[in-house]
Amino acid sequence: MAFTEDTVVRTVRTAATRPARRAGTALSFVRTMLVFAVAWELLSTWTANPTLLPSPVAVLEALRELALDGELFRHAGVSLSRMVVSLAIAAGLAVPLGFAMGFSGSFDRIVDPTIELLRPISGIAWIPLALFLFGIGNALPVFIMTYAAFFPILLGTVAGVRGTDARLVDAARTMGVPLSTIVIRVVAPAALPSLMVALRLGIATAWTAVVAAELIGAPSGVGYAVEWYRELLMTPQVMAFIATIGFLGYLTDRAARSLSERWSPWAPKRSEA
Amino acid sequence: MNARPFDFARGALLPIALVTLWQAWVMLAGPSRAPVPTRVALAAWDLVASNELPMALLQSVGRVFGGFAVAAALAVPLGLAMGTSARVERALDPLVESFRPIAAIAILPLAILWLGTGTAAAVAIVAYAAFFPIVINTVAGAQRVPATLLRAAATMGLGRAATLRTVVIPSALPSIGTGLRIGMGVAWTAIVAAELAVGAKAGGGGSGGVGQMMFVYYAYSIELNRIVVCMIAVGLVAFALDRLIRGALAFAMPWTAR
Repeated sequence: MAFTEDTVVRTVRTAATRPARRAGTALSFVRTMLVFAVAWELLSTWTANPTLLPSPVAVLEALRELALDGELFRHAGVSLSRMVVSLAIAAGLAVPLGFAMGFSGSFDRIVDPTIELLRPISGIAWIPLALFLFGIGNALPVFIMTYAAFFPILLGTVAGVRGTDARLVDAARTMGVPLSTIVIRVVAPAALPSLMVALRLGIATAWTAVVAAELIGAPSGVGYAVEWYRELLMTPQVMAFIATIGFLGYLTDRAARSLSERWSPWAPKRSEA
Repeated sequence: MNARPFDFARGALLPIALVTLWQAWVMLAGPSRAPVPTRVALAAWDLVASNELPMALLQSVGRVFGGFAVAAALAVPLGLAMGTSARVERALDPLVESFRPIAAIAILPLAILWLGTGTAAAVAIVAYAAFFPIVINTVAGAQRVPATLLRAAATMGLGRAATLRTVVIPSALPSIGTGLRIGMGVAWTAIVAAELAVGAKAGGGGSGGVGQMMFVYYAYSIELNRIVVCMIAVGLVAFALDRLIRGALAFAMPWTAR
């Protein structure tokens, strides 16, 4: 068991055919999760306190009931629709601003310090003030998520626009292409890969923020549901919703990744970030 | 390029304009409770002079360091093991990838259930939040060790431990550093969220810290000016922590400083 063997194993695995590799990953996934479930089951039998640590079977049962009942999908739908709305607002604000900042150095020097002053204040730190401004309801989580997603999207857009090959812009200019066309046909395609990465980051940040915002100040959504069932001491339901939060986080990230592959297929393929 | 003071003045223009606008709006048309820059400044003075804010920040920062240390102590060895052994990686990667998308705040209700509303729950949340960026970057760093170096080490008859110490770790350090820096940022966000939520759910009598302080100013004594002071403090500490860890990393591995 030296390093080299493992390295060789890894190289061989990389060279192996894709379906075989996928089957291997699936197998090790199932194996690991089985071991995890058995360890959990043993631990829960040993603690013998279903409120503190219910057995995995009870959690699956709770998950099934919540799904059949429709409650799971209702809360998930509420959280996801809030996320879509706030991402749309955040992108609608951040992308044009990012283009302007990436394009014009003097505009950037005026706006950038303000952005850098606000950026360290996390979206979550806005929750108390936003609670006062918006009250408990839909507006609060949407505001917090919009704020949280705004900064990664803005920075990614600026970086993408700045990263545009200056020779391409110069060439277009030499040929007398109007500025608006340059933006749409030259800069936007060049900036899109970076923008899509930024969007993925924005989704991840927004998802963390929504759970916090709903947990504290919303009457619905997955974050609310987790806290609601904790107060009722219904731990299987708490865990079922935690699993749902993780699963939705995973799904939204996958969705963003496949969107970016479809919309910017010319993006350089990067290894897992 | 001798335009530095000019640049600074231009950069300060927009914040000053915004703050003036805010002040004017509240004085002319705002609701009586709305926070105003002048009163925010007074509240900041009060909170600092009475030592309330520094103590709360100290408590929060202490929790962040505690949770961060736990996360690093678990994540770095685990990441090195996963990054150097395909077998360990195959066994543990599914677990890491399954838990990674679960936001740290979502674990909070469980943490409260298991550990109560005190420091232990807050530290656990911080450790959970910081764990994933550190482990993932450590794995990536350990896997990207140039194969020639590993082969050279093997040729020279280095054992597993010696290879780890002299080849893998030095080569993975910059990546581990990135993970630590990201982890620290996430940890600070998580502590504020955890303290806020604990404050919201434990009825104020919870565990202190700057997040809790903000919630008390929202829910019990409605002092929006003080909330704004706390927000600014949260931002300043986030900035300071980032600077601190960047400085520490640059000091520890000067060859990575750009």
